[in-house]
Amino acid sequence: MLNSPEIWDFGEILNRNLGNCTLLTTPSVRSRVTDWPFNHATSVGHLDERLDTLVVIGGGTLIDEAKAWRAHRAPRTFLVAVPSIWGSGAEASPVIVLDHNGAKEIHIGNQYLPDVRCVWPELASSLSPEQALYACGDAWSHALEGFLSPLAGHSLREDLASVLVTMKSLPVSNDSRWFEPSAAACAGQARSSVGLVHGIAHTLEPVMRASYPREGWGHARLCATFVWPVMRYNQARGDRWTSLTSQYGLDGSAMLDCIESLHDSGNYETAMAHMEGAWKEVLRDPCTRTNSTLVRPDSLAWFMNRAFL
Amino acid sequence: MTNREKLQDLLQDILLLDPSEFRFDLMRDDVQMWDSLAVVAIAVGVDETFGYHFTPEEAMTIKGVPDIMALLETKSISFAE
Repeated sequence: MLNSPEIWDFGEILNRNLGNCTLLTTPSVRSRVTDWPFNHATSVGHLDERLDTLVVIGGGTLIDEAKAWRAHRAPRTFLVAVPSIWGSGAEASPVIVLDHNGAKEIHIGNQYLPDVRCVWPELASSLSPEQALYACGDAWSHALEGFLSPLAGHSLREDLASVLVTMKSLPVSNDSRWFEPSAAACAGQARSSVGLVHGIAHTLEPVMRASYPREGWGHARLCATFVWPVMRYNQARGDRWTSLTSQYGLDGSAMLDCIESLHDSGNYETAMAHMEGAWKEVLRDPCTRTNSTLVRPDSLAWFMNRAFL
Repeated sequence: MTNREKLQDLLQDILLLDPSEFRFDLMRDDVQMWDSLAVVAIAVGVDETFGYHFTPEEAMTIKGVPDIMALLETKSISFAE
């Protein structure tokens, strides 16, 4: 089984004795929780280190900040994570990705794992179709790259194959059933590694944010854009895609169809315009270096020429 | 392409070396990029290039290019010049 924090029903947050509790939320969620009987905070900078419980409701970035704050500043604080969107799986993983002036810093350790995670299904309904699609791309990337990773063992691959089957059965929409497989995928990849999709996303995200500051370029959008081309690359350049999908009873071509539906050629063109300048950094990224198929300097041409089409 | 050329090509790509920086007696300590992630990438690359997958135990014994060649020689992959 994939390691994951204890799971609570959403109502338990209000019914349990959480002691001195603060609610840390993103702006999109705040109006839904103003009447909750807790202290409210808008950033980790406002948190009291003597807290008994911190409940964080937000996206991956805010949850990771809360995980880092708890680990480094208040290790006795009980941490409850409620994702406002799926994809990052931050609520279920011992990994944190911190942004230092555009540079991504990744830390892994059990001290970062929340004590409890819970799903608030209604938050899914507030997502736009575009947000939902990008979040699905993020979730698919974690599951596929974790499954294909050269560092994955047999039992992890079995678990992630089951997650992939679930994902394949879900519609690409704001459906709250995505929260569970997304959390499982993230917990799984933390036990192996991710690959080139994440190497590209980590490298290009600061570039895209700086170049198009008002166009919503973030991690999930880059994952949705590149997961299909990268899996086609893995399929074309090595035998791991074919052998592992077959070995674990997965329908590789149906999965490629699913992730192709997440691909937007306009987004790809826009991102690829920055790829040549970023490629050396992509090659050096730790995620790229554990891709299931070797990524070489000349692999750039495969992506530039759109050989996956 | 000979096996020596294939191995040189592979390691240059993984370790991001210029051809002038590569030597067949290169050791792990000589190359900044030759960290634990490079060991994983070398195992993947050797599998793709020579069709042999190092066991984790074999991968742990690799301290330099001569060790890679010696391991592959035991699998009948020759690096004779």
